[in-house]
Amino acid sequence: MSGEEDSAMYYSDDDCGYDAYYNMGDCDVEEVDVKDDPEYFAYETLRVEQVERLLNESVEALSNKLHITPSLAKVVLLTHEWQLLPSAVAYKNNDWIQNLLNPSGGTKLETIGSKLRCPVCFCPAPPEKFSSIACSHMFCNECWVSHFEVQITQGVSTGISCMAQDCGLLAPEDFVLSLLTKMPLREKYQEFAFRDYVKSHPELRFCPGPNCKLVFRSKEPKAKRTICEQCKTTFCFKCGTEYHAPTDCSTIKKWLTKCADDSETANYISAHTKDCPRCHICIEKNGGCNHMQCYNCKHDFCWMCLGDWKSHGSEYYECSRYKENPNIVNESVLAQAREALKKYLHYYERWENHSKSLKLEAETLEKIKSRINAKVMNSSGTWIDWQYLVDAAGLLAKCRYTLQYTYPYAYYMEPGPRKELFEYQQAQLEAEIENLSWKIERAETTDRGDLENQIDIAEKRRTTLLKDFLDV
Amino acid sequence: MAASRRIQKELNDIKTAGIKSFRDVTVAEGNLLSWTGVIVPENPPFNKGAFRIEITFPAEYPFKPPKISFKTKIYHPNIDEKGQVCLPIISAENWKPATKTEQVIQALIQLVNDPEPDHPLRADLAEEFTKDKRKFFKNAEDYTKKFGEKRPAD
Repeated sequence: MSGEEDSAMYYSDDDCGYDAYYNMGDCDVEEVDVKDDPEYFAYETLRVEQVERLLNESVEALSNKLHITPSLAKVVLLTHEWQLLPSAVAYKNNDWIQNLLNPSGGTKLETIGSKLRCPVCFCPAPPEKFSSIACSHMFCNECWVSHFEVQITQGVSTGISCMAQDCGLLAPEDFVLSLLTKMPLREKYQEFAFRDYVKSHPELRFCPGPNCKLVFRSKEPKAKRTICEQCKTTFCFKCGTEYHAPTDCSTIKKWLTKCADDSETANYISAHTKDCPRCHICIEKNGGCNHMQCYNCKHDFCWMCLGDWKSHGSEYYECSRYKENPNIVNESVLAQAREALKKYLHYYERWENHSKSLKLEAETLEKIKSRINAKVMNSSGTWIDWQYLVDAAGLLAKCRYTLQYTYPYAYYMEPGPRKELFEYQQAQLEAEIENLSWKIERAETTDRGDLENQIDIAEKRRTTLLKDFLDV
Repeated sequence: MAASRRIQKELNDIKTAGIKSFRDVTVAEGNLLSWTGVIVPENPPFNKGAFRIEITFPAEYPFKPPKISFKTKIYHPNIDEKGQVCLPIISAENWKPATKTEQVIQALIQLVNDPEPDHPLRADLAEEFTKDKRKFFKNAEDYTKKFGEKRPAD
């Protein structure tokens, strides 16, 4: 994983005994986790120089194999996902040249005395001022430079092609750079080209974090969680958006588009406050936990379904499951539309609720930290004694995040036994998370055993769900 | 301006070539970058009239493509109500500096004569064109007679 090599090198000489012991210990733990953890994903973090080295290795290998210039090898690799063998085969079969007319014939230019007329600017120029790429379409150097300038200012770099009608041959890097002299444009060209190389390489991803220059590499690119060690952005390796297990990339995209379209209606319908189901006093949700206790009448109820919390308890948690109307096919179009909206709102409210809870729990974490400080100052336990609370809050956030992303998954699932199993496991996770959230918010005494037990149960439920349904 | 020399030569070439379906090329006074001309289609239902077009060249021509718009209303799946036309040869990603205006005009004449309902600008007309050709032809002919310019005598 990331940084391992660095730290190993850093510690190799001095401190050998101590660090080697602990590093090895870490590795052992990881080994066990790998087989067990459905979210495990192997990737490494690369700096720009490391990416360049990696790309150059491929370029060198291909150029040595085919005896072509490195610059030409780069063009071929770019269009063949940086795979050596397919690139070599494509080059030998001339497949790498797209829509190329007259591959070797070139063009006969009109001569004016000892000069040639450029087919782009129509100006005569001496033959030594003309150039062409492999397709032999000749143009004057001034026109080539103007062509490059216009393309680069439009953001095109490796995509710059020959200027002849119907000729799609790409201009290699060394050809562009040999004619282009303006420094800012040369830099821009190289910057855009680097971006194109990384984007065309299936094993590489730019960090989506703002202004972050790191690149990640995975030999088995999958829709798995990637965390940038520099800017801490967490994202899905495959699609580059926020991590979304157990939902897959195309489903989450569909869901987010849908939410963006329908959010006004949904916001209107699901308000931020609710009335206590017993005494009807207005209650605003101020913590992440769905187990509510009315500050007025002390009634315990569930924020989502407004039912008595006792019925949720340790029993089967029903309120995360959407009950489809079995008779819907016989109903009118209007009723069906209302049913569709109801179904969407059911999942949307829960999705939105967990997202809000996550934000509120971030505030809770701050409160926990100040509570720990206060307790330590009062000599009720040491700082270390209370760390389990911070760990618990971290795990709660992780579980709630996964739970949030189970709702789009469930929304697009076909009804059937698999969906029933999914919603059963989702309900179990939901129940354990609410228990955990309740316990964390109210942990006053050092009831550590109970809380740690709850942490363990919640994480087990989360991994079980991902093991059964995360399929990437 | 770098573009002038080439545009001037292209204008002369087009005038001497005498394209049957593209007549009456004129340049806006003092501005070589703006041309007008008349498309005279050969195929029904557009052969009952003629259509004035405007060609504008950007300052970066020929490294950026010219733009074409219809000044005469036309009932055509690939030309919208504002007169904008979707012509692949002059789209930014397909444009080639060596492409000549004459080739662009030939592509345009081809498109007017034979609509391409697969890449429509007006989906309603494309649907009518594929599903009920007789109705499309009638509507387009009526439209051409109503809004089209007079065709040249020869």
